[in-house]
Amino acid sequence: MRITVALVADTFREAFARKIFWGLFGLSTLMILFFLFIMKIDIIEGAVATISLFGQQSPRQWEVGRLVRQVQSSIAVFLYTWGMALAVFASSGLIPSVLEPGRIELLLSKPVRRWHIITGRYVGNALVVGLNIAYLVLGVWSILGWKTGLWPKAFLFTILFTLFIFAVLLAVVVLIGVIFESPALATMVTVALMILSPILAQKNVMERLLSSEWSRNIWRGLYWALPKVYDVGRMTQDYVFDRTVENYAPLWSSAAFAAVVIALAVLIFSRRDF
Amino acid sequence: MSSADFAIETEDLTKVFRSLVRRREVRAVDGISLRVERGLSFGLLGPNGAGKTTFVKMLLSATHPTAGVAKLFGVPAQSPRARLPIGYLPENHRFPTYFTGVGMLDFYAALSGVGRRTRKRRIPELLEQVGLAGWGDVRIGKYSKGMLQRLGLAQALMNSPELLILDEPSDGVDPMGRIHIREILRELEAKGVTIFINSHLLGEVEALCREVAIVHRGKVILRGAVKDLTAGKGYRLTAVNPPEGLLEDFRRRSAGFEVADGRATFQFPNREAANRAVDELRAAGCEIESLVPTSHTLEEVFVKTLADQS
Repeated sequence: MRITVALVADTFREAFARKIFWGLFGLSTLMILFFLFIMKIDIIEGAVATISLFGQQSPRQWEVGRLVRQVQSSIAVFLYTWGMALAVFASSGLIPSVLEPGRIELLLSKPVRRWHIITGRYVGNALVVGLNIAYLVLGVWSILGWKTGLWPKAFLFTILFTLFIFAVLLAVVVLIGVIFESPALATMVTVALMILSPILAQKNVMERLLSSEWSRNIWRGLYWALPKVYDVGRMTQDYVFDRTVENYAPLWSSAAFAAVVIALAVLIFSRRDF
Repeated sequence: MSSADFAIETEDLTKVFRSLVRRREVRAVDGISLRVERGLSFGLLGPNGAGKTTFVKMLLSATHPTAGVAKLFGVPAQSPRARLPIGYLPENHRFPTYFTGVGMLDFYAALSGVGRRTRKRRIPELLEQVGLAGWGDVRIGKYSKGMLQRLGLAQALMNSPELLILDEPSDGVDPMGRIHIREILRELEAKGVTIFINSHLLGEVEALCREVAIVHRGKVILRGAVKDLTAGKGYRLTAVNPPEGLLEDFRRRSAGFEVADGRATFQFPNREAANRAVDELRAAGCEIESLVPTSHTLEEVFVKTLADQS
């Protein structure tokens, strides 16, 4: 445990020193301030006044509630796209920096197993981003709740879903980092997976359009093998809107992808000579 | 002697680097079998590219051997347990510059399994010992090369190691700093710590180590006690104004000779020859200024050994 704490704390220290943490924190704060500003505009002030006037029984409450969920859904989508891309970009250098000659030898000379170094770094990195996601979501949730009196807890699931999908993509960043030690390549591959995800998610449409069985199988194979950023994003929206989620397969198949990728990264790291 | 009596024990340790693209093989370490007893100060010497650093990296499991076995205190080197009693200072280290001196020592000591309370006590002690008291709260990005080297040494000592592996320990350190580091290492040796130095500075190794091994092209080509390797060359005799007759005679009998400012210096291969010369000079009424035993320097041994190989 002492070693894990030391490795996680070191990741935080580096994230602070490289201004990664503060960069994400600053952007989240800007987003929260932007929301505070938006809540002052007339249409929302009007909606809030209406709900205050008619109280909990008002038929307008449904409209305000819908507006709140729309706003929360927009936040979730923002986190999924730009927020995630920024987080991946910010995290891409944290693995290659550990592998620098003169630094890695010293780490490996300590009585620490190699998998511990990788997973400690991975957990630390996920926590750096996770804290910022939690800060942003809780900030927006509090502002909306304070202004509207509505506190739908479902929005808080955005923290878990976003952190989950970031952890899945971070596994790719770690793998590329361990093999190629290139932050740029790690970002490119991970963002490519994000872009590919909504395309692959159209598998029902594509199965009708593709003429041969083998091309349909390739499409299906890619869909199931790669992380389902888009589908998990849709699930998050379903949660925010209190809609029933019937299919959790994108969640577990993405988790399986992350587990395999991290295991591969650990295996390659364990066998490497430094 | 059991395996645990040796701080370092390798058997046929080999590392071959293979290039998949060019299909080339480089045998960096070629079947090195080496035993370093507990408490010994040992120097590993060799020209650039001899395989010294690869050998050290295999001891620390940073590089995996192609063949052979490496053990530290009887424990296979690939086990993390083997690295518990070890302090290591790498060559060309790159400590993260976001650390302060204290933060850096704390982090690496925590990874070495040192408890929080011990770390708190050891850090100021060691900063004082390496001459960095007052610098603990400064970011190490502001440290000079010599200061980083001292901090690196403190880092290697945080877990009170039984085996200290130092790769070019006084690289970038000024002469006073070198003397200071040498004193620290001597104190550690006196306490029974095994010291393994990998260095190009032969004078430093000669001053610090009791045994050395010379590595060339991945193999150990010479190993022995420093005093044995450097001893037994002969005697240098200096006399004031020796008579011309003896001068000519000694010129023929000595291994080397030099005359300057009325003083003649002769090099004799052994004690008997030197004593006979002293007797003859004294009988001729000549004053002896000095008679000193001479030895090879480690540098001479090193150069000669490598020259013999090539």
